[in-house]
Amino acid sequence: MLNFARFVVTRALMAAMTLVIVSLVVFSLMELVPGDCAERYLAFKNTQGSGISVADIELERQRLGLDKPFLQRWALWIVNAFQGEFGDSCILRVNIAQLLGDKFWLSLSICMASLALAYIIAIPVGILAASSQNAFLNNSLRIVSYLGLAMPNFLLALMIMLFATVYFGETLTGLFSSEFRDAPWSFAKFLDLLKHAWLPIFILGWSATAFALQTVRALMFDEIGKLYVTAAAARGVHGRKLLWGYPARHALGPIVNSLGFDLNRIFNELPIVALILVMTDAGALLIEALARSNDQQLAGAIIFLLTASIVALNFTTDVALAVIDPRVRKSIIR
Amino acid sequence: MTPLIEVESLTLQFRTDEGLITAVEDVSFTLMKGEVMGLVGESGSGKSVTAKSLMHLNARNAVYSPESRITLHADTGPVDVLSLRTPRELNVVRGGAISMIFQEPMASFAPAITIGKQMVEQLLLHSDMSKGTAKSVSIEMLDRVGISDAARRFDQYAFELSGGMRQRAMIAMALSTNPSLLIADEPTTALDVTIQAQVIDLMKDLVSEFGMGIIFITHDLGVVAQTADRVNVMYLGRLVEEGPVREVIRNPRHPYTQGLIAALPKLEDLDAPLTPVPGDIPSPLERPAGCVFNTRCSQVVGEECMALVPTNCRLDETHSVACHIYREAAE
Repeated sequence: MLNFARFVVTRALMAAMTLVIVSLVVFSLMELVPGDCAERYLAFKNTQGSGISVADIELERQRLGLDKPFLQRWALWIVNAFQGEFGDSCILRVNIAQLLGDKFWLSLSICMASLALAYIIAIPVGILAASSQNAFLNNSLRIVSYLGLAMPNFLLALMIMLFATVYFGETLTGLFSSEFRDAPWSFAKFLDLLKHAWLPIFILGWSATAFALQTVRALMFDEIGKLYVTAAAARGVHGRKLLWGYPARHALGPIVNSLGFDLNRIFNELPIVALILVMTDAGALLIEALARSNDQQLAGAIIFLLTASIVALNFTTDVALAVIDPRVRKSIIR
Repeated sequence: MTPLIEVESLTLQFRTDEGLITAVEDVSFTLMKGEVMGLVGESGSGKSVTAKSLMHLNARNAVYSPESRITLHADTGPVDVLSLRTPRELNVVRGGAISMIFQEPMASFAPAITIGKQMVEQLLLHSDMSKGTAKSVSIEMLDRVGISDAARRFDQYAFELSGGMRQRAMIAMALSTNPSLLIADEPTTALDVTIQAQVIDLMKDLVSEFGMGIIFITHDLGVVAQTADRVNVMYLGRLVEEGPVREVIRNPRHPYTQGLIAALPKLEDLDAPLTPVPGDIPSPLERPAGCVFNTRCSQVVGEECMALVPTNCRLDETHSVACHIYREAAE
């Protein structure tokens, strides 16, 4: 037990180290963007008609602390980042933590929900498909899977929107109805969110499910063909006990392992889907920050949070794997 | 001596995309209670498939011919193995009256389930024991096969044991339900020679102690000579020679058996060249007409070898061979 605790702590420290290294990369990338926040802000002011001088820029730099050395600024940034504080946006001039507010957690929840949807479908269906000899079932699953893998998410999103608009006269965009958008959280707002969120969850979950289905099925095929399954059958183990207790039990480890990878994929697809569905979530903000306004502070904060989520999930799956698989667990305890 | 299991005209084909593939053809033999039978042949000779049919354990695409019959004389009465369908019916041949040990002990234990849990599961399936009794019986059995510190091993996983230890544990598991027939599919092939000798000794001890019949599948004639009372030689799904083990090894009659014995390296004459059986075992998709061995036989006697399937010729009370050379002698 003590060893297990030590393992968890070591893994947590490694995860934190990973985040620190990632933060250095992210911070360096933010620096590489031509110009800094001070210039950007004053350039913006200039377009508003007020004249600026080099001295104004210097003053602004000092105010923002941009005149300090790189490493010092990075250290400050990372210490704040671990406390959820990312400073002000360069362009919008508001606190990033406030600006992101619920948006980041909403995005993360949508991604996690898609991931959960994918595996809730893929695990039982994949296991049954692998153990069934039914050609019809297997072939139809294959077609659905290929459709899911081959069809881009944005196309699916556009098709569903088109369909909804033409046949139901409804526009399925945004995450909230207008009356709830700025309202404080309440049960009614939560229900309203569910009413809207199913679409992005479905669209993101669609290809994730197809992908997970292929993974689960392939892993199960591997396990079913193994000698220990035949050996268990030769001892009289049969039916569900044989299927779930032997091959499915042993395919679980690699399935858990693939979760972190899948979350990463879903996150990557989120901004495009968000853009099409006109959702003002973190993904949409990221595109806005990166592609339109060059807002390096905001982009850096979002990228850091995304990475932190993936590192956190990987940490969780590592620990879960140690719980599930005695080979991993015993190698820790020894 | 009373028969333990009788196999009559066992013919088994697999339904594949390339059509029906014959894996076993017209195989008949009888194993007596307490007898050890060696089943010898190259890979692809159908020995494992034959053994698996005794537990009705072949893949779902297996097709048995209507004449095939396997009768197990269990304590409760004769059982027609091939007519068993439901898991409850199959229980008697799967871990009940018949147990099987596999070639790779590492691969035949589930890697993420403790050895003890797998043993207890089997005992609960085949007896009315309580979990506690099943556990103590399992530990006793592990101890019996020479595993030290059995109570601790009970809670360990296969990957924590050495190769020889794993095979001992496998034997303990197979014998825990007190079967009347043990099928050992190349149980020593994956082991070091020294461990191999230990495991063979252990199996011999246990046979005399438990009085069960054993079918020992191997390609190693040396192992057969040490363990078996009788030997059946298989080639491409057919039984080609059958007899007492010493008689067959000293006086092999079928050209294939002769080839197998000549191919063994001889320690007393290290300079003697190895004489392998020429050629390869043909693909089951291209089974030769007539005698299945005619593509590699050095003693073809004539047209009949190419056209006629040789019948079993009794050479004496116990020794028989399926070869055209001996047909006239027998008539």
